[in-house]
Amino acid sequence: MTSAKKKAAGPKASARSAAKTEKAETEQAKEIARSSKAGNKITTSSTAEYFSKNLQQVGFSSQIKATLTTLKEAVDNALDACEEHGILPEVTVVIEKLGAGSIKNSDQVRIRVEDNGPGIDPDDVPKVFGEYLASSKFGRGRCSRGQQGIGISAATTWAQLTCASGAKVTTKTKAMRKAVSCVVEVDIKHNRGVIKNRETIDWDRPNGTAVEFVFDGRVQLNGEAGLLSYLNGTTLVNPHLTLHYKVPDMELQTVERVSQEIPQVPEATEPHPHTMKLGEFIAHSHLFGRVKTGVWLKRGFSRVTDGTLQDLVKGGIKSSMLEKSVDALGEADFKSLFTAIQNLQLMAPSTKSVLSIGEESLSKSIRRLGAVDFFSVVTRKPTICDFKPVEVEVAIARLEDRSIDPDSPVQTLRFANRVPLQFDKSACAIAQALTSVNWRAYGLAQPKESFPIGPYIIAVSVVSPFIKFKNASKETIDASDELVEEIRRALIQAGQKLSKHIRREEKANELEEKIRHIEQFGPILVHGICRIVDAPDSRRTKAEEGLRKLLGRDAEVAEQELEQAHSRLEAQKEKEASRQPVVEAIEEGVLQED
Amino acid sequence: MTTKTRRSKSGDDQIPKLSKELCNRLLADLERARRPVLYATKCSLDNALYNHKVGFLTPGDKKVATELNVSSVKKMSRAIFMLEILLRNIDTGAVNTKRELYYISKGEIKHNPMLKPLDFSDQPESDATIDFICEMLECYREELNCYANDRGGQTYSQQLVVTETLPDGDQAVIDLSKLGTSPFQPKNRPQSLKLSARKKIDFCLIIESEGTANTLVANGFTKRHNCILIGAQGVPSNAVRGWTKLIQDQLSVPLYFFGDLDAYTLQNIYRTLKAGSAASLIRNSDYSAPEVRFLGVLPEDIKKYDLNDYPVKESDAAEGRALKKAADALKNDPFFQDKRNKGVAQILKWLLEHKRRCEQQAYFTVDPRDPTMPEKIIVEKIKRGNYV
Repeated sequence: MTSAKKKAAGPKASARSAAKTEKAETEQAKEIARSSKAGNKITTSSTAEYFSKNLQQVGFSSQIKATLTTLKEAVDNALDACEEHGILPEVTVVIEKLGAGSIKNSDQVRIRVEDNGPGIDPDDVPKVFGEYLASSKFGRGRCSRGQQGIGISAATTWAQLTCASGAKVTTKTKAMRKAVSCVVEVDIKHNRGVIKNRETIDWDRPNGTAVEFVFDGRVQLNGEAGLLSYLNGTTLVNPHLTLHYKVPDMELQTVERVSQEIPQVPEATEPHPHTMKLGEFIAHSHLFGRVKTGVWLKRGFSRVTDGTLQDLVKGGIKSSMLEKSVDALGEADFKSLFTAIQNLQLMAPSTKSVLSIGEESLSKSIRRLGAVDFFSVVTRKPTICDFKPVEVEVAIARLEDRSIDPDSPVQTLRFANRVPLQFDKSACAIAQALTSVNWRAYGLAQPKESFPIGPYIIAVSVVSPFIKFKNASKETIDASDELVEEIRRALIQAGQKLSKHIRREEKANELEEKIRHIEQFGPILVHGICRIVDAPDSRRTKAEEGLRKLLGRDAEVAEQELEQAHSRLEAQKEKEASRQPVVEAIEEGVLQED
Repeated sequence: MTTKTRRSKSGDDQIPKLSKELCNRLLADLERARRPVLYATKCSLDNALYNHKVGFLTPGDKKVATELNVSSVKKMSRAIFMLEILLRNIDTGAVNTKRELYYISKGEIKHNPMLKPLDFSDQPESDATIDFICEMLECYREELNCYANDRGGQTYSQQLVVTETLPDGDQAVIDLSKLGTSPFQPKNRPQSLKLSARKKIDFCLIIESEGTANTLVANGFTKRHNCILIGAQGVPSNAVRGWTKLIQDQLSVPLYFFGDLDAYTLQNIYRTLKAGSAASLIRNSDYSAPEVRFLGVLPEDIKKYDLNDYPVKESDAAEGRALKKAADALKNDPFFQDKRNKGVAQILKWLLEHKRRCEQQAYFTVDPRDPTMPEKIIVEKIKRGNYV
């Protein structure tokens, strides 16, 4: 930012210095030169100032996106808060159009998101909604939806810039007798939240938070970038969520939860030395204070053991250095230590820190998207891609809705840490993996090198404590070869499972077709032959019988094939069911209690 | 039970007889609830044989079997349906093109709703049915009174007289010397024509380019020489092939082919004219003239007459394919492998090696001011026996 300012001032200054030589160094020219130097002063701006001028970088690049991003940030925060505190989330979303907006061709939109989460301590409210980079999750290495603490403050800024009003927040924690209601605005100059109109009100619930934004935007419900796609996607990957929503032109909808299990977001593991840069490495040491360097390495990092320390010594690090207190190390020491570790073969980072939705929950959740004929779900084992733990899950369902154009591409739902990704599809690792699979092998139609077509939903979820997004608005996952390959494998497995359903259906169609064939063509063929040879009716009847027998045998073969396909599918279903008996039992228990 | 059809010699009554035999066998099998299997000759290069004494490509023993089952019952029903239409045509003497037969079948279905499942959605479907009938009966579609548009074979001569027997028995006599510069257009099925010569005919020249044939006639070629001149118009159609065979059989005159020096001409045009093609194995006996010789352009002519030749563009898809096919022909085509055809095989090898080509029109470069120069060269080549 500051360097940009410098550059902008550059040509002005040079133009003026040219004027100076022209006017033969008069006193006046000197004065101008002096004043121009004064204008070149380097200033610092606040983070809020930066983001308020660059909201397009965080998801506010168009009016449609502004609506979606606002909704997304509010819902993400609600879900994260519930999960952190072990609460089964129940979220209510209301989106209304209030009239024309102040920007050309825009509507004034109100979004209200209400949750049954733990509530926010009133002192924290301005930080949460009005301060950039104020986050409880930043850099913790956990699979939470939000990470940096930019999104919701950006939504407040957008509302403030377009409608001159900040976020209206109502919140109540268990400890509070009454709820607090206020308006939060961003003090852009100082990156600070400012509270206005604070009042204490009665609220008919023990705890929770409601946040309301009024801003200029546009409401798009349908399509991959639509609000409904977001809400559907969110329910799919959050089987434990009960969602009520009211959007324009639709009645209030309620999607009940299908799982009573609150996902346990695994604790972060210590950082892996190979994922760090030198600066981070040194900064990391400051957290430990006065401990021996060897101890710091073992405690502060994952996959560093006594064996590793021995290898370091073998690699040329003096053992005395490992005995030294870490705060006594100089920059050169850190550098040599860091380089030595980078050159060692270490075990890949642990995959314990990733979180999965699970095949069982996904299977239940996918039915919430609408009536489906059949589906297949795959949860891959956590693995390491680009030295970061990752878990990929895939759900494919065929919709019963036959009004969908059969030649339109499948509906794809992409998720990163259980947040739907809805823009810039083509650049995303998930889209690249999807088009790289040969879907025809599994019975889906697919034009060359593109998305398969048909009435299917293909949902891909990537969960990782360190997802590499291409931009701050979290729209696309960076397509590294390793990640694309991992997603591809998940898709292939799901495709294989799905193909058993499709094959069975094909066989059933084939049988039907064959029977129809016999009924249709048998008589025509025999009649034709008889006319050519001028055969009597007796021969014709006999030949018709014979033909029926012949083709009947073919139909029997087709029936057998159908049976085989059917039993193969049943075997797959059984296998899947037996894989998660524990979860099943628990859930049944819960259901009975209910 | 296998159903085989074998045909000795073509004849108008043969097709109805064969069809009835075939249908009778089908019916007999069905009455016993046995699965009928139809065998058709495999028409491809791997089933082509060549014997220089026979002179054309003949079918080997390979057959394609079609068994009646749930998947093929539609195809068979359609074939029987179309066969009925064709037999009616043969009976009444009516002829049709493939497109017309498509519409006739549409009309039949329109008037008989029971036949609705047979309906052809487009012409390729009905064409495939007609081809399937030909394969089953081992006949060509002209024998089923299904004719293609006559193409190529425009013929000029001052000596040739053609007598055509019309379907009603009338005879038409065409004296080609009375046609001026207009050519005579032979039919796709020239077997009903009878040829005679008013004067002794010295040779018959078949020219690849129809335009060049026309030029030679306009410049007086047929006036100066007692000959028959035919424009082939590229790959010879059934009309050109049957017509050439007729001239060979009925007039016993030497036949020469004059075309470009390139792989495509040699392998597709000349070979088809002389020995037939793999796709038409069944009818090569009626549609090839084994006595045709390759007059040029020969590789040695380039040097001798200083002709303009140019390199083959291998990057060009069509030319690249022609070269690849030529290399393949040398390896697999029994015609080029036969010792008697060593001459043409060697030209093909020369073409593959040098990757150059020379067009028939290049003879016009020899003396650009003399329009009869190509004629002179052609006649000189015939006189000296400078052909393959």
